[in-house]
Amino acid sequence: MENKEATQTQAFYSDKLKRAMHLLLFRRGKIPGAKEWELKEKVGKNFEQVLEQLNQLLSELDLEIKKVRERAPAYATQDRTATDETRYCITLKGTLGLKEAKMIGWRIDNLAALAATVAYLLSKQGKAPREDLEKLLSNKFGRWKSITLVDIFLRTGYLEEDDAGVTSLGWRTQSEIDLKALMTRMAEVKL
Amino acid sequence: MSDKSKNKRSLAAGRRELKELVETCDAISERKFNPFFLDVKLGVETLRQFFPLWETFGDHCMDAHTLNRLSEVVRLQNTQLKFQSSALYVDPEFIIRKVEHMSEKRLVEVLLQSWHPLAELEQLTEQTVTDALNYWDALLPIAERWKKRELIEGKPPSATNVDTLTGLGIHGEEFNKQIAKLLDELRDACKTSKFADYWNFIRGSNYQETVRRAYFVSFLITYGFAKLHAEDNKLSLTPIDQPTGKAAPNSVSFPIPIPRSN
Repeated sequence: MENKEATQTQAFYSDKLKRAMHLLLFRRGKIPGAKEWELKEKVGKNFEQVLEQLNQLLSELDLEIKKVRERAPAYATQDRTATDETRYCITLKGTLGLKEAKMIGWRIDNLAALAATVAYLLSKQGKAPREDLEKLLSNKFGRWKSITLVDIFLRTGYLEEDDAGVTSLGWRTQSEIDLKALMTRMAEVKL
Repeated sequence: MSDKSKNKRSLAAGRRELKELVETCDAISERKFNPFFLDVKLGVETLRQFFPLWETFGDHCMDAHTLNRLSEVVRLQNTQLKFQSSALYVDPEFIIRKVEHMSEKRLVEVLLQSWHPLAELEQLTEQTVTDALNYWDALLPIAERWKKRELIEGKPPSATNVDTLTGLGIHGEEFNKQIAKLLDELRDACKTSKFADYWNFIRGSNYQETVRRAYFVSFLITYGFAKLHAEDNKLSLTPIDQPTGKAAPNSVSFPIPIPRSN
């Protein structure tokens, strides 16, 4: 009898695991991953347990589920903000090598510029005027290249820009980059 | 009367000061300055000083707006202090110096050690279909795009007019005068000997003048006013007594490079 129950639980979770995996992996909108309310609706109230189990499976593939807190939109009501703010996505657990980074379509100088951009914005509490950012990049990569680089980072979601021309860290930076580790590594570099 | 005008002046000064205060607060909000650049206490004192002078509804609105902006600066100062006490705090100047001195490869290595890219499967979504449709709608027909490319390649040969030729200096009275003058010079040069040395004849006071004379001589030869002899690597010219004034039917091109040393 106990064995039968255990099998039923296993099947129940297996189905939920698949649904959660589909939600996390297949992109449906502009941003990959799934929002907390989506998971609650499609997977059930115990979605956190399902994600935990899924995480164990994914860790064997050097992947992990990451919980990212999004900035709440200005129009969000107090009730919806709590659920709308959190998004779950799958990221690489380990890190990439230089050759692997090139293979997934990144230019080395673009990655170098991204490192400089994120570190600079972090030192300015996550926000800086676009001109300041372009000035920093133009010293290293040239005037025209710096404009293109900022545009690329805006397009790919690593940066955001408001109407006043103030750039800030985008959803992708929050999801993909371990900011503390980046700043520690930057500080450790000897000139 | 003098008190009234003094009050008016103070009112104007107050409005100006509040406007400047709001502008400074806005610049701080846009991260152009450090939040501690502004002395908030002094700002509040300024508000207090001018408050009794406000006359209109607009003045009071401005006063409230300034107070709101000052409170935003206080919030930013609070955030700055929290940030400075966190593990992420690094002086921006320090980062700028590091970025300037680090090689691109070293920067990439730093990023790669803290970068965990997203894993996702791309597929058709409502958004991507909309983007594709917009692209398709904005796309010109292939014939139009080829037409554009043809235009880029250059204009096809076309007929020109007399004005253009005169403007280029190869047509008109002035041009004919120059040719006639040069022909007279050639005839004079050939009075004593049968031939005139080509290089001696075209040589001018400077390189530009030499090229100009060679250019006119080429017209004399082409239209049968003179003849060019090339013998034993020596070029010479002779005038023709009865010129035809037309290009010879069997003439050939004979390019003569003019080095600067000549």
